[in-house]
Amino acid sequence: MSKRGLLGDPTGHSDDHSLGSVDLSVNLGGLQMRNPVTVASGTFGNGKQYAEFFSLDRLGAITTKGVSLEPWIGNDNPRIAETASGMLNSIGLQNPGVETFISEDLSWLTNQDVPVIVNVSGHSASEYLAVIERLEAVETIAAYELNISCPNIDCGGMSFGTDHQAAFSVTQLCRQKTGRPLIVKLTPNVTDIGEIAKAVEAAGANAISLINTVLGMAIDSRRRKPVLARKVGGLSGPAIKPIALRMVYEVHQQVQIPLLGMGGICSAEDAIEFMLAGATAVAIGTANFTNPYSAPAVVDGLREYCAEQGISRITELTGALQ
Amino acid sequence: MVNAEVTYRACDSEYNRLELGSDAGGPKQEIGIVIDNGFMAQTIAKIRLSAPYIAQNTRPGQFVHLRLPGLEAHILRRPFSVYAADARNGEIQLLYQTVGLGTEHLSTLPNGTHVDLIGPIGRGWQPPRDAKRVLLVGGGLGVAPLYSLASTFTTETEVHLVMGAQSADRLICWKPFSTYITEPCLHITTDDGSAGQHCFTTKAVKDLLEIGAFDYIATCGPEPMQKSVAALAAEHQTFCEVSLERRMACGIGACLSCVVNTTSGLQRACVDGPVFNAQEVIW
Repeated sequence: MSKRGLLGDPTGHSDDHSLGSVDLSVNLGGLQMRNPVTVASGTFGNGKQYAEFFSLDRLGAITTKGVSLEPWIGNDNPRIAETASGMLNSIGLQNPGVETFISEDLSWLTNQDVPVIVNVSGHSASEYLAVIERLEAVETIAAYELNISCPNIDCGGMSFGTDHQAAFSVTQLCRQKTGRPLIVKLTPNVTDIGEIAKAVEAAGANAISLINTVLGMAIDSRRRKPVLARKVGGLSGPAIKPIALRMVYEVHQQVQIPLLGMGGICSAEDAIEFMLAGATAVAIGTANFTNPYSAPAVVDGLREYCAEQGISRITELTGALQ
Repeated sequence: MVNAEVTYRACDSEYNRLELGSDAGGPKQEIGIVIDNGFMAQTIAKIRLSAPYIAQNTRPGQFVHLRLPGLEAHILRRPFSVYAADARNGEIQLLYQTVGLGTEHLSTLPNGTHVDLIGPIGRGWQPPRDAKRVLLVGGGLGVAPLYSLASTFTTETEVHLVMGAQSADRLICWKPFSTYITEPCLHITTDDGSAGQHCFTTKAVKDLLEIGAFDYIATCGPEPMQKSVAALAAEHQTFCEVSLERRMACGIGACLSCVVNTTSGLQRACVDGPVFNAQEVIW
């Protein structure tokens, strides 16, 4: 396997025809993707910034920054802290609201020849519903990702994702508003993620994405203060990969719907591990910050892995752990 | 862009002038090679890297986002102002202070080390083209992005620099500045009085503004200092730009970690800044 990765060759995507026979396409609960790689919400802006580095149609889908009904200003600074093999963030879902999102970001993304998954956020069930109702009027959206797992807002967000009844009811309400693929994003900050996964499946989710960030904290010993203005934040990056893999593995054994795995994926090897644990598709998150070419490098690495291993369809890898 | 007909200040033979303007190329990933790396003063070091694309496209006030080689557990890049760039030789120079594990490690990189860079990034300085008298104010390492700015003015412009440090042994790189700024216009301050005036930079700025008017003030350094300079500029109705530092993850405008509160809402220090009109910043 190629060593392209964090010091990735910017022009390193492979057009080698000997690799052309590998079928990388996957179907994530009705969302058809040309390859299993998308990006984690909030780590990719709304795509424009990364389009300066590579053509977005190299990815299986783009997942947008969380969108709420009204503009949200997010949290105070400092919003991030680097920690061992990871980082904490408490951005707080800063976004311009659904109307500006549609007119500015979505209209541009629509022309990039890549399916768009819109991440939907809210403080209350009625806000999630209002965002989806508004987005239903836009034809070009491929799927929704329901964010019931953000640890950085005071109400809504993660509070829906830590209670199986709340997770069930908000998913069911959204399900009734749309026929589009509905992916529900789960938080790892629970005792039994399988219970939450089964609840959202029963409520009609088409797929589950996991994991969101792990609630954590950093302290400045000299100032005797928390590093983040909000004191606590969400841990992401390679530090959380073993947690994410374990949770994908557990959830895969308990639900029938496909999984979108994420949490510290930096390389194709990482992505394959998630697929073996049960993921149908994967998302690249914090690695986008380290190396803007991370996501297309993972696509190329998956193709090479399949060619080397004699795998003709990448879907063979899902849950193929021995 | 400055007029090519006018006479520039005597130019440092080693480094050609950086031009102002926004017609240069945008950020790209480039693997730089360490040419030289060493301490200039206590805890303050300079690294010189071969990075032709960035050297040719950087404008004063922009920065590079650097990934520390050999410290893979430190997953985030570090932003550094470009101190000087030489388009002909394809080299850039960065100043840094050893304040933690990352910068300590940076100071140990031997010549020949490959360093993953993204750059040039951000909105640089935008001085008025017809400025006759300008004031640059650098606190500590904040002088770094002012050096290339100083090189852009013609002999028609009277350029003053107030440079402050905690003490004489932390005072850096005033010698290169003397290429562009003559002795009577160079104002050094130290917190302990071990060199120059025994005061903060803001006292020197206040005194200068009371003696004569400036068309433009540019400042970089500790944020409380920049805030005070901005207030003094406002008091004297002088156009002022500040260069702000924030904790940053992506450096390309996606992650919203580095926001600055401004009169036109939250702006990103990485791509909307790092240089902002001081009057638009809500401190």
